[in-house]
Amino acid sequence: MSEKIYAFLIRLFPAEFRNTYGEESLQLFRDRSRDERGLWPGLRLWIDLLTDLAVSVPTEHRHGRPALAGASARQQLDGVPGFELLEATPPRPGTFFSAAFLSFATFAAISVLIVHGGSYPALWLRGSQDQHPNATQASNSGRSTQPSTGGGHRKLVSTGDRKIDAAAPGSGNLMLVSLTPARRLLPGNLALAQSNPAQSGQPTPQDATTAIIRAFDSHNIVMFGENHGVKQEYEWLDKLVSTPQFSDRVDDIVVEFGNSLYQKSVDLYVAGDNVPIEQVQKAWRNMIGAVGPPSPVYASFYKAVRDENLKRRGKHQMRLVLGDPYGDWDKIKDAEDLGPYVANRDQWYAQVVKDEVLSKNHRALLIMGAGHFLRRNGPGYVEREIRAAGANPYLVVFGTNSVGGYDDLDSRFDSWSRPAIVSVAGNWVGELPASSVTTGGSVPATQLKLADAADALLYIAPRDAVTQLNMTQSELEGTVYEKELNRRMMIMTGRTMGPLPGEAESPMFHYPQPQMSSSGPPALPAPPRSIRDPLPPRPPSQ
Amino acid sequence: MPKRKLDPLPSAAFHILLSLAEEDLHGYAIMRQVEEQTAGRMRLGPGTLYGSIQSLLEEKFIEEVDLGEDTKPGQERRRYYRLTASGRKLARSEAERLADLLRVARAKKILRGDYV
Repeated sequence: MSEKIYAFLIRLFPAEFRNTYGEESLQLFRDRSRDERGLWPGLRLWIDLLTDLAVSVPTEHRHGRPALAGASARQQLDGVPGFELLEATPPRPGTFFSAAFLSFATFAAISVLIVHGGSYPALWLRGSQDQHPNATQASNSGRSTQPSTGGGHRKLVSTGDRKIDAAAPGSGNLMLVSLTPARRLLPGNLALAQSNPAQSGQPTPQDATTAIIRAFDSHNIVMFGENHGVKQEYEWLDKLVSTPQFSDRVDDIVVEFGNSLYQKSVDLYVAGDNVPIEQVQKAWRNMIGAVGPPSPVYASFYKAVRDENLKRRGKHQMRLVLGDPYGDWDKIKDAEDLGPYVANRDQWYAQVVKDEVLSKNHRALLIMGAGHFLRRNGPGYVEREIRAAGANPYLVVFGTNSVGGYDDLDSRFDSWSRPAIVSVAGNWVGELPASSVTTGGSVPATQLKLADAADALLYIAPRDAVTQLNMTQSELEGTVYEKELNRRMMIMTGRTMGPLPGEAESPMFHYPQPQMSSSGPPALPAPPRSIRDPLPPRPPSQ
Repeated sequence: MPKRKLDPLPSAAFHILLSLAEEDLHGYAIMRQVEEQTAGRMRLGPGTLYGSIQSLLEEKFIEEVDLGEDTKPGQERRRYYRLTASGRKLARSEAERLADLLRVARAKKILRGDYV
């Protein structure tokens, strides 16, 4: 409790000081709290801290003008004022509240002084017929800038969108999708207003690793919306975590593909301890959010983080934080047992980020299926939650050169070095349909544009060069794990797994199969009643 | 960012320099060392401590060092600080300035000889 109070008080310092020394200050508080127990030492600690705050907060505000966070817009056009960015992070909601309150109080105080001390009545006490000239001007100005609501905008209104991290064709791996109804896209006039400016700029793809590292210069969180099981994507991720500039500055990697029940084992594993692999692999084999044999890319990624930490013994270490709910498949016997875990995947992931990353002022790479992260009609659940908790995220999503239907490939990507990350703001990449680009054209184009869905695109390879790594039928056949996966699939879908791919590597995106049967695929069982239940208490980590 | 003033050297900054004279320390250890070397009279709070550290870093009187502390995942990373050559020189000149003051104080019979 007292730590939370002190963490709150640290907000009194300027942002630059907080960002640089906030966590250190909190650590010092923890150290002193640990060493100075009892009534008198505790009282003395708080007297020291409050005295220190009283002295140092004004000092830091006096000296701590924040460094420029961004270049100023070109200015000097004969007296036209320009502005410079002083803060790298957006103000907290509380700041707006405080600013509004102080402004109102100041305005009220001045008005009261005028009313009681002079001949001018307060502005708000004037009659409605006696409008302030500026009010009329503002009103007119507002009318003139109101977006047109003509019939044209109806073209951009869409009935909805769909989540895209459903089972990749042929993967044999069912990634769960949200059970919430599809969301509507931006209203047409709003979409127009957001997408019209500066479409003509040329994209500037950067080396993907460099771009991620640079993103951490100005963001404490980089969110990567992945496509599950892609070989080239994970080759790059493995390389990314092995890059010293990344491993020096990133504290945590929060992954969807890890059941948080096994956090303890994974902590030991990535720290380089000798943990039986059978224990560690439960993290990705026993996921709640994926029923089916996991792609080998995940085991490789865990190992890549461990190898890098081992290489960096004695230096800053990275942590793999598991973001999948802590359901224990040994205890899940039916859909009712599973319901609360499935229903709270985004909620739990966001909670983990808040508890394990943001509360420690860490920097983190978040990896989750792109469908969870894409912004549809505003940020998704995870992004909203972590922004509310003070994070300043940068969202990168996986994509290819597929820009419409399955046959629509865009040759403009051909000249790019790969893998590349490109900002999607103000250029033709941002105008592409997010659903097609992120799914290799297997999901039809919708009106959601990349510029509205993310900050940047990871272009890993042309669509037809993208492959997935699979656990093969021969690896799984006859094993206890196969039996267990079939049990889980029965709980989830009411049927057993289909045959797995025979090849360890296969194309990621297949031509969409025409619907052969008018009746469609067999319906999934009705959602369990427990789907509306909150998560049960978290058991001890294994 | 405007530079903070280290001339005259604030007492907290001087004590931090002294605390780092013999070994590299992290923030909490500096605070404890200062407390010890002032017989408990000075307990630097986080704001004063890290504000002073920032000033000293900006002027390159101290530097951040990687001591290769074996940090486990999930544990906090600690930053260690080391006195630079110019920091040592500054501490020495400040100590000499204080010693001069003490000599004057003794000459004026304000202090007795036991102190120096």
